[in-house]
Amino acid sequence: MTALGSGNGASPAPGALRLRGLSFAFATHGGGSLPVLDGIDLAIPAGGIVALVGPNGCGKSTLLRVIAGLLQPGGGEAWIDARPIIGPDPRIGLVFQEPRLLPWRSAADNITYPLELAGWPPDRRRERLATLSELVGLDPAVTASRPAELSGGTRQRVALARSLALEPEVLLLDEPFSALDALTRERFDLELLRLWQRAATTIVIVTHSIPEAILVADRVVVLSARPAGIVADVTIDLPRPRAIAALDDAVAVRASHRIRRQLEDDEADETAGARAATLPTPTELAS
Amino acid sequence: MTRSASLSVLAAFAAFVLIWKAVVVVSGLPPYILPPPETVAIRLVGAWRDGTIEPHLGTTLIEVGLGFGVGAVLALVAGYGLARSAVVERLLSPYLVAAQAIPILALAPLLVLWFGNGLLSKVVICSLIVFFPVAVATMVGIRAVDARLLELGRSLRATRRQVLFTLEIPAALPNILGGMRVGVTLAVVGALVGEWAGANQGLGVLINLARGSLFDIPLMFATLVTIALVGIVLYLIVVAFERRLVGNR
Repeated sequence: MTALGSGNGASPAPGALRLRGLSFAFATHGGGSLPVLDGIDLAIPAGGIVALVGPNGCGKSTLLRVIAGLLQPGGGEAWIDARPIIGPDPRIGLVFQEPRLLPWRSAADNITYPLELAGWPPDRRRERLATLSELVGLDPAVTASRPAELSGGTRQRVALARSLALEPEVLLLDEPFSALDALTRERFDLELLRLWQRAATTIVIVTHSIPEAILVADRVVVLSARPAGIVADVTIDLPRPRAIAALDDAVAVRASHRIRRQLEDDEADETAGARAATLPTPTELAS
Repeated sequence: MTRSASLSVLAAFAAFVLIWKAVVVVSGLPPYILPPPETVAIRLVGAWRDGTIEPHLGTTLIEVGLGFGVGAVLALVAGYGLARSAVVERLLSPYLVAAQAIPILALAPLLVLWFGNGLLSKVVICSLIVFFPVAVATMVGIRAVDARLLELGRSLRATRRQVLFTLEIPAALPNILGGMRVGVTLAVVGALVGEWAGANQGLGVLINLARGSLFDIPLMFATLVTIALVGIVLYLIVVAFERRLVGNR
């Protein structure tokens, strides 16, 4: 089974993402500009999964926000299929590092919040809620609870369901499971893959964890320190469906070494005084 | 409220009445200076029965209700503007603070002169006194709305209106209601101050009557008790709203 195998072979699934010469700079207080992204070129086929890794503060999250249409690029453009991304886009679902739920709403009302904003009538929202809860493996009994009453993992499940509410073609995840403990995180990585097989979306996931990147992605894209450019695009040639044991595969180990070397080289290139990026340690791979 | 909590409230009230009685007995103050609690209680019941208090209470409640409503609504709008627009804040905040710095007591005669002896001047005075705490609370609440939630709203293409009603107002509600708690008790103060400055009816008028032409000091105390009860009930109404709206976050 190939990496693009989510689409069952009929008409080509939508959701091919293309970035061309994408650059972005933050305005500084002094009136200058701080370049964050420097000419990013990236093509992700519909239904593909790409993980973005890179040193801390290199602009991974900024890149995700530019793709999400939350930030306007200074140069270049981003496309989904044949249509450019010019702002927040219903074709894109977004999962943040923290669940970012509305604390005054029940889990159910959080999940259907995008539908409410889009003007769906309540009965259709209820139907969709059932589908979404089932899709992300959310116990229907907890959907009446407020976020404060839920565990961290359940909250992120709710956030995941919310991001899928409008059936996006592309799902962007910004270190989505980094607040979870290691075991829960692995479970969520695998569930994300199951979800991907059913929801047939293109996925871009930003992560700090090399094992996570290798476990979920078709390709791991390594970004340089700021301003971020692509320094490596490592294909992960592991069969799907994958299990945790896939990380012990020689392919995974080689990919991991390669990614780590790229990150370390880049770190060595940084000028003196630049803060050291906290990279995952080799022991993490042993999990 | 749990049973033990109700009991402790009752016990505290009983202690208050007992101390009052003790002060009267020990000091030997005449009833026209400090009437004993039972005299006040009897007078309170009497004044309710013979319809002395009711019309005055009705007038004051209307003043408080309208004044609080008008003041709070204006304060919500202004507070939002203060939070979201630097221009509005620069232009408005000096007047806001100045209006708050001048005691309402000093302003009330002027407002009665302008707006007359009737309801209008009291509503203006109440609104004015309610405005500041609610506006400041709204401003603080709106400013404190989590920017990450606003980003979520943006990513879901929420309209301005949707952002206001589904994100900003719910998020700021605990703060706003806190301001309203303060505002509602101040509204009672505003109504009474306005009545003192000139009115034909209201609990403030009744206090003046009881002290002056009627010289009925127990009635004056009975009126004070009524005023206190009005304040407590209004406060509890806001607290009940608060419990309902933000209680189980």
